[in-house]
This record gives sequence, C-alpha cells and structure tokens, in this order.
Amino acid sequence: MPWIAQYLWLIPVLPLAAAAIIAICRQRRRRLAASLAIGSMAVSFLLAVAALALTLHPRTSEAVWRETFSFSWFEFGATALQLGWVLDPLSACMTVMVTLVSLLIFIFSVGYMQPDENFTRFFGFLSLFAAAMLGLVIANSLLLLFIGWELVGLASYLLIGFWYHKPSAAAAAKKAFITTRIGDLGFLLGMVWWYASSGTLLFYDGGNGCLEASALNLLTAQTTFGGMAVSTAISLLIFCGAMGKSGQVPLHVWLPDAMEGPTPVSALIHAATMVAAGVFLVARVYPLLDANPAQLAGISTALKVIAWVGVITAVFAACIAVAQTDIKRILAYSTISQLGYMMLGIGVGGVAVGMFHLLTHAFFKALLFLGAGSVIHGCQEEQDIRRLGGLKPYMPITFATYAIGMMALAGVPVFFSGFWSKDEILHQAMAWPVSRVPFYLGLIGAFLTAFYMTRQVCYVFGGAYRGGHRDNAAQNLKSKTSEEPSQPPQKHPHESPWVMTAPLIVLAVGALLLGFLGTPVWPWFHDYFNGRHSGVDFSRLREAWPVMAIATLFVVAGLGLGWRFYGGKRIVRAEQADPLEAFLPGVFAVLRRKFLVDEGYEATVIRGNAFAAAAMNWLDRHVWETGVLAIGYLTLGLSWASRLFDDYVVNLGFDTGCDRVRKSAKLLSSVQNGQIQSYLRIVAVALALLVLLLAWGGGL
Amino acid sequence: MNTVNYLGLLRLLAPETVLTITGLIVLFFDAGVMRRQSIPRRQQVAAFLLSAGAMLAIGWSRHYSLADPNSTSMLVIDPLTQLMKQVILFLTIFTALVSLESKFTPHVGEYFALLALATLGMMFLVSSVDLLMLFVSLELTSLSLYILTAFQKDKLESSEAALKYFLLGGVSAAFLLFGMSWVYGLTGETNLIRIAGQLRDRATDPVLLAAMVMMLIGLGFKIAAAPFHLWAPDVYQGAPTPSAALIASGSKVAGFFVLARMTLAGLAGAEGSGVWNGFAPGWVPVLAVLAVLSMTLGNLAAIAQTRVKRLLAYSAIAHAGYMLPALMAHNTMGTIALLYYVTTYALTMVGAFGVVAVVEQQTGSDAYDAFTGLSRRSPALAVCLLVFLLSLAGLPPFAGFFAKFYVFTAAASASTRSLGLLWLVILALAMSVVSLYYYLQLLKQAFAVDPPAGAKIIRPLPATLFTLVFLALLVLLLGALPHLLVNKLQAALVVSGL
Repeated sequence: MPWIAQYLWLIPVLPLAAAAIIAICRQRRRRLAASLAIGSMAVSFLLAVAALALTLHPRTSEAVWRETFSFSWFEFGATALQLGWVLDPLSACMTVMVTLVSLLIFIFSVGYMQPDENFTRFFGFLSLFAAAMLGLVIANSLLLLFIGWELVGLASYLLIGFWYHKPSAAAAAKKAFITTRIGDLGFLLGMVWWYASSGTLLFYDGGNGCLEASALNLLTAQTTFGGMAVSTAISLLIFCGAMGKSGQVPLHVWLPDAMEGPTPVSALIHAATMVAAGVFLVARVYPLLDANPAQLAGISTALKVIAWVGVITAVFAACIAVAQTDIKRILAYSTISQLGYMMLGIGVGGVAVGMFHLLTHAFFKALLFLGAGSVIHGCQEEQDIRRLGGLKPYMPITFATYAIGMMALAGVPVFFSGFWSKDEILHQAMAWPVSRVPFYLGLIGAFLTAFYMTRQVCYVFGGAYRGGHRDNAAQNLKSKTSEEPSQPPQKHPHESPWVMTAPLIVLAVGALLLGFLGTPVWPWFHDYFNGRHSGVDFSRLREAWPVMAIATLFVVAGLGLGWRFYGGKRIVRAEQADPLEAFLPGVFAVLRRKFLVDEGYEATVIRGNAFAAAAMNWLDRHVWETGVLAIGYLTLGLSWASRLFDDYVVNLGFDTGCDRVRKSAKLLSSVQNGQIQSYLRIVAVALALLVLLLAWGGGL
Repeated sequence: MNTVNYLGLLRLLAPETVLTITGLIVLFFDAGVMRRQSIPRRQQVAAFLLSAGAMLAIGWSRHYSLADPNSTSMLVIDPLTQLMKQVILFLTIFTALVSLESKFTPHVGEYFALLALATLGMMFLVSSVDLLMLFVSLELTSLSLYILTAFQKDKLESSEAALKYFLLGGVSAAFLLFGMSWVYGLTGETNLIRIAGQLRDRATDPVLLAAMVMMLIGLGFKIAAAPFHLWAPDVYQGAPTPSAALIASGSKVAGFFVLARMTLAGLAGAEGSGVWNGFAPGWVPVLAVLAVLSMTLGNLAAIAQTRVKRLLAYSAIAHAGYMLPALMAHNTMGTIALLYYVTTYALTMVGAFGVVAVVEQQTGSDAYDAFTGLSRRSPALAVCLLVFLLSLAGLPPFAGFFAKFYVFTAAASASTRSLGLLWLVILALAMSVVSLYYYLQLLKQAFAVDPPAGAKIIRPLPATLFTLVFLALLVLLLGALPHLLVNKLQAALVVSGL
C-alpha cells in the first residue's frame, strides 16, 4: 500500500490538532492561532496533492483505482465495528478542493477578522470545521462519515453563532442546527437500517463492503412496505440527510439565515465546502442509489427522486434570489440553486457530472463570497446592495475578480468554468430517458442565474456610490449595521489589503481554468472518475453543440435582460423602488418574501410544535405528576414504616439495653438481657419458618 | 493412607505462608524496633511491611502447580481460588493504606498483624473444600474480625459492637457446625464433592432440609443477609472504620465465595426451585427468601439513616440481596456475575469507608452533617465519594452498573420455565431505584449544600488520597471495560469447574 494511502488520516488530524492547541491558547495569542491554523492546513493541502498525484498515476486495469485502510474500533459480541479511510478519485479531488479553498479562506480571514476580539476562537472553530470536513471526505465507513458530518454541523453552529451577542445570529445558528438535524434523523435511520441489513458500514472492504456487489444484491432482493426495495428505502432516508445539509427544498430555510456568520464562514461553510457535503454523500453512496432490483430495468427510483428534488430546488431558489437585497443572501440563494444543479447532475448523469459542478462551484462561489466580504469590509460593514454601488473605481481588484466569479456562476461561455460544468448537466438532463422537464427547468434556472447576478453586480459596482447618506435613508431601510453606530463614519469605500485580495486572485484563476478539465472535447474529469484513459476528440463537439448553443442563448438573454433593467445609471438613490418591482409588483413581493416558506413553517410546524409542547406540559403537570407523587409518598410511607419497625421493634430492646449500659455500666448483663436475646430469637424463628416452608413446599 | 508431603504443601500454600510470616514480622518489628517512634510513623512502617508481604503473596500466587482436580483433599488450588485470593490480598492492602488515616489505637503492630491473620483466614476459606477445613478457616477469620472490631478500646461503642458481633457470630457458627454434623451423619463424608455425590438422590429428606437451613443460616450471617443481618449496622457503626472496611470488603468476598462453593458444589443435588409458581424445596427457595428480605429491609431502612456508616451497613445488606439471585441462577454466567459483583462491590466499599475514615478523623463524626459541603472543603475526596456511591447505586459508567447488569441478566435468563426468576429481578430493579434516593441524599449534602461557616478544609494524607483516587479510577475502569475482569473470571472458572 502506498504510504500516502496509509497516512491519509494525517490530512484531517493535523487541523484537528491545530484546533485543539488553539482551544487551549489564550485569547491574546492571535499570531500563534492564525499560523497554526494556516500552517496545518498548508501541510494538509500538500498531503492532499500527493494523494491526488497518486490517483493520477497511469494504471492498466479499467476499474476505478481505490485503496482502503480499515481498522477495528471496538468489539461487541462477535462483531467488530470497523472504521477506515479510502483513497479514490472522489476523495482525492475533494480533499484537494477542501484544503485549498480552506487555506485561501483562512488567509483571507486574517485580514477580515483583524478587528474582532475573538480572533483566536474564530481560527479554532475554522480548524475544527476543516478537520471534520476532511474526516468526512476520506471516510471509508458510513459511521466515520456520520461522525464527521455531525462535527461539521457543530462547527457550523458555532460559526454561524460566532457573534452570539446578536440575537439574529444566535437564532440563525439554532435554526441551522435544528433544520439540518431533521434531515440527519433520516440519515441516522438509513444508516441503522443499512447496518442491520448488510452487517457492515465499511464502504469498500475487498468485496464485503456495503457498497459492493454482494451487499447491494442482498438489499435489492428484499422488499419493504409498499413493495419498495430495501435499497430504495435506505437511499431515500440517506438522501434526507443530504437534503438537510445541502439545503434542498423544503429544508433550505436555514442556509440564507446562516449568512449571519462572518463572511469567511459563509464562504467556507455555506458556499464552498460544507453544504457540498450533502452532494458528496450522495456521490459516495451512488452505487446504492443506482442499485435497482433485478426485475426493474432502467433508472432507479432513488435517482429519479434526487433529480427532481435537485431541479426544483435549482429553479425555486433562483427565483427567490432575484428579489433579495442583501448581498450575501443573494449568494446564499444562488448556492441553494447551484446545489440543486449538482443533485440534478448526479441524478441524471452520475457522480462525475455532479462532482465536476461541485468543484467548479466551490471555486467561484468561494470567490464571490470573499469578494462580497471584501466589499462589506471596504464599505463599513454595509450589506444592503441598494446602499452600495459605484464601487468599481474604489475596489478594482475586487471588482475584476468578482466579475470573473459572477460570469463563471452565470455560465458565460467558453472561458468560465461554470459554463462547462453546467453545460454537462444540461446535456445529461436532455438525454434523460424519464422526462425532458428537468432539462427545460434547468434552462430557466440558468436564465434566472444570469439575470440575478447581473442585477447584483450592477447594484454593487455600477452607478454611483449610494452609501454615506445613512441619516437620510435610515428610516426607510432596515440596516443591520445601524446597531453599531459607534464606528467612525468613513467617506469613501476602500480596497482591501493584499492578504484579502491575494486569495481572490488565486480563486479567480481557478474559476477560469478549472472548466477546461471537463469540456466535451477533452472530458478528462469524467474519464478520471470512471477510471478510463482520456483523449482529445473534436468530433464529440458535433453532438454537444446544440445544447451548448441553447444554454448560451438563455444565459445571454438573462444577462441582457438584467442589463436592461439595472444597467447603466438606472439606479440613482437607495430608496428607489427596484425596477423589476415596478414592472411586476405582485410577483416581486412574493419573491422578496421567499415564497412565504418561513411563514408557512411558522404557521404549521412551529405552531404545531408549540401546541404539542403545551399539551405535554399540561399532561405532565396534571396527570403524570399525580402518579409520581403518589409513588413518592408511598415509598416515603414504606420507609417510615420500616424505620418505625427498626426503631421500635428491632432496636427497642437494644436502646433500652444501651440506656442501661450508660446508667449502670453493667455492660455484660445488659447485653445479655437486652437485644442479643431478641436478635437470637429472630434467628431461631427464621430457622423454624424456613424449615417449615421447605417441608410444606415439599408436601411432607 | 497416603503420607503427607509437608514440603509440597508449603510450596502449594506459599502465599498463605508468606502472609503468616509477614504478620509475625509486622508484630515483632513494631514491638521490637519501632516502639519508641511516633504512632503515625509506626503505622506507616507496619502498613508498608504488610503491603509488601501481601504483594509478595500475590506474586507467588501466580505461580503454582495445579493440584489434582479430582482429589478429595481438604484444600483446592486452582486458577479461580488464586484469583480470588489475589482480590482479597489487594483489598487488604487497600485497607491497610486507608488505616493510615485513623488514629484509634496505640497497638499498631497487633492491629496490622490481625489484619494479616484475618486475611489468612479468608484465603483458606476460599481454598477449602472440606467441611472441617471450612469451619476452621471461618473461625480464624471471624475471631480476627471480632478483635479488630473491638480495637478502639477507648470507645464504648466499639467494645459493645464487638461483643454483639462475637455472640451472634458464635451462635451462627454453632448453627453452621450443627448443620454440618447432620450432613456428616447423613453421608458419612466431610468433603463437599463426595457429599454432593451422596446427596444426589435424597433431595427431600427432612433432616437434610433442616441441616441445609442451618448451614445457610451460618453463612447467611457471614454475608449479612436479612434476617441474619442484625449485627451489621451495630458493627459497622461501632468498629474502627478501617476494620469495618475489611469486614465489608474482604470478608464479604470470602463469604460469598464459600457460600457459592457450599451450594454449587456441596449441595449440588439439592437446589430445589424458586421460580414463580414452580416451588420445590432446596437451597434456592431459602436463598430467595433471604434475597427478598435483604433487598427490601436493607433499602428501606437505609432511607431513614442519618449516619454514613450505618447507611453503608444497610446498603451492604441490600447488596447481599442483589447478589443472591446470581447464585440462584445456578449456571456459569451466574457465578461469573456473582464474583464480578462481589469483587467490584468490595473495591467500592473499601473506597467509601476510606472517605468516611478521613472525614471522621478530621471532623470527629460520621453523621451526614459532617459531609456538608465536602465538595468545597476537599474536592478530590468529594469526587471519590461520588464515584463510589454512584457505583453502589449502579449507575453507568461505573463498575456497579455492569455488576447489577450481569447479575440480573443471569437471573432473568436462568430458567426456561415460565417467568423463572424474573420476579426477583423486577423486585431488585425497583429496589435499586429506591437505593438511588439515599445515596443521592448523601451526595446532596456533599455537593449541593454550602459548608457551614468556619468549617475546616479537609486534608487527607497523600497516601490515603492516592489510594482513594486509585480505587475510584479502578471502579471507573472496571465499569468502562468490564471485560478485563470478566474474561479473567471466565477463564479461571472454566479450568476450576465450579
């Protein structure tokens, strides 16, 4: 076994150790904390690159190259619970992506979090998060994956609520934790069921793993309620977990609120890596999802569900993004939408398609979020796009990189990575034998994406700077920053320091170049995932160009329409109504209020929960408590009775005896006269009774 | 008639020999060399000598040659007896270390020598398979313990307790001996294995039943099962705390082991049955009666106590009640459960008495009030107390939890007939809930109540504190990894065939 496959565990353990050391550091040791976090992440990145290099090695067989390492954690009865890690194309490229993006965001955070007094704690949490995410990625056991999964959820909770003194941040953290927990329940049930059915949670174990043929055949052969195959039921349960973490409809509500966390956190967790964990999970258990009972040919139910949920999420979130005004919330909804695309990609085209979009998206979404962070940092923590504007001359680097990110996200043809990965998804969706609807919805989503990104860029960078008039606008606009009036007003926005812009540039290069790994002409990424050799072949362009052309058409339409509404000098004042609002007021209002999903949950789930809690409270107070009190009093009564018995029946003789001992100091005689006799009498009675009992029972 | 090879016997009994010599050395060294030193100094030296001797005995007991398993001799030496002897020796060491704290006597040498002698009796008790040998070793143990109870000569309570212990113990020994003589009359044998062979087909002989009840009374006294428990509260209360610790731990281990040997090997043909609706005369129903009485009486009476040593006494009675069902299960699993339970219980009890000894020495009382605010006055001691009491209450992750778990599982699965011993298990579970109440009462005093104004900080000796922390960790370890002990017991049990 190659050394890197054996020591793969170092990749998550290094950041974990860093997190542990930072946790015991004092608050003042800022430099130490930051260098520990960044240093450990850099080493992990190098290790991940080494692992990736190993998987790139040319190989002879056609099968997917895979190295696993397992050990037994603990034993119960005859079985042992095994954990382990796996090195294959999926985990290799995920570790490289996670470590690289984390590294860049850590560096960015040094600048962004400089004013914060809890700088040290921030880096501790970031390291913990990265460690958990990396553990999740390299896991060869569903259990280890689940441990990482939950730790990631914890880190996310801690980081969303990092500014816990803000009530909105604390509420958002709680919401994220509880919402994802609903999905996790499904995941846990699925995991338990899977273990009960297949007897192992190791993914790959030389033919005995739960993702390998023998176990899958076992699962597809059994059916459960409604004639559903067990494999399908488990798949759907596990997909519940993925829906929660990746913000698929209807569990998406936490993700926009999670933007209450510091912006690097939004970039790292809620855009690039953690929310991708759901997609990664789906990719990891793809053999299970794909497994179909022998009698049913074609596409498995689970994959159909995933594709539909994905595409609905993609369009749904894109619609909402059109009407938002918070720079980070727009990006959050776009993240949800893009996660929907990834799910769609996996559903219709397999692991490589979805993962390719995941990787390109990680780069340009991290870029966009860090760009947004740079904007916020430069404009006195202002997040409302209506009060930004005209930043192009003030922040040239941020603008250039942001534009690259925006075009990559929108899918502008040829030079931007998002184009290639999204095109691949659309291509596969068109060829989907089940239905063409996802393809059409996907096109609409692409159009909307281009539209809202144009809107955002026009608002933020175009026109004139609309900030600094806060006093006039304050009564009309709710501003988060109005809580911090102590900050000295600053006349002009300013460009961020190099420690923040350098990561932007690196990410922008990634957002530009990464797409060329998966073009139709040279589909290297897909061949790498499927263990095939890859070559350049221009003839493939012939069948690919119609979809590319249609997609381009929709993107250009979105960009054009966006420019038509928001471009040039159309937005002059912050209080001005949104141009689209003037055009379609009813629709815009619904979109601004996010399709009323939160209100719907408020009216049904939360209200119902409160009612149930009240009912339980009533029951507890009036029904159960009576019973408990009755038992309590009964026990007390019995113990008093026993004590009385002990005091007055057993000990009375003894106490009298003792009194006499003290009075007359005739110890021996009093003991003789006192309790010993009664003690012995009890023994004698016991002897007689026991013998009688035996004799009576024996029928003598 | 084979001639006795005394040299071979000495080799087999090397641990016992070592301990005897240790006892004598302690006595002479203290009387001869240390006479002019201060009492704490003498205690340290004596405890050190005794511990060293016991460690030597433990080391020796690991190397032995197995005696002929079919022999009808007086003693049996096999992995199981050696393991139990090691347990008892460890308990003695812990008791000796806990004794350092108390200053109840100037007769240091005698005290530690008697500890050694009591231990010696227990070790022989574990090895005996012959009625005579069994009785003699029981008397050696008992007599040493009577004296240990009376050791605090300036306290009237101590003498009184010893006298009561002695009188009741004497009568119960008489019962035991009388029962034994009837058994001998019936079978003409004194060896337990042979007795079992003779008794196999006369289970319902009324004379045998009476003899059996008498022997069980004698041993029931030893393990403080109700209604033969009456001595326990007075003795635990009156005896010097370290002596009480030995009575509650080492003597308990030996007592239960010999009870198991007597019933499982000696009365193998006369179990009878104690299952619900399936009563048949034998020792199982007798033990069932004792178990029910012990659990109920011990737990309920413990609630009303206000002094910690009395509380521990009543809880000891209750624990005897929990342990008896394991014996009644009458299978390997039950025996393992019993031995695991009694071992962990004894360790916990030494620890609990150790904490009491420290508090009693420094505040002069063992009433609940003396423990008020212990967590503020000595955090380490309070945490140790917490571990011991929660283990006694049977909460995970402490050893007491697994002990109860094993016993109840063994009892519940013992019989395939109807509900088997499930009724006893249900009673035991209900009673352990009750027991949590009084343990928590004490812990509430220690943790939740503020110390009274002007209360002193309690500072245990380093050696005592180390012992207590070590015991607490041991209780935690055996609770987290019960396999460590269970696997050992299982392996030993398979070889010995008890």
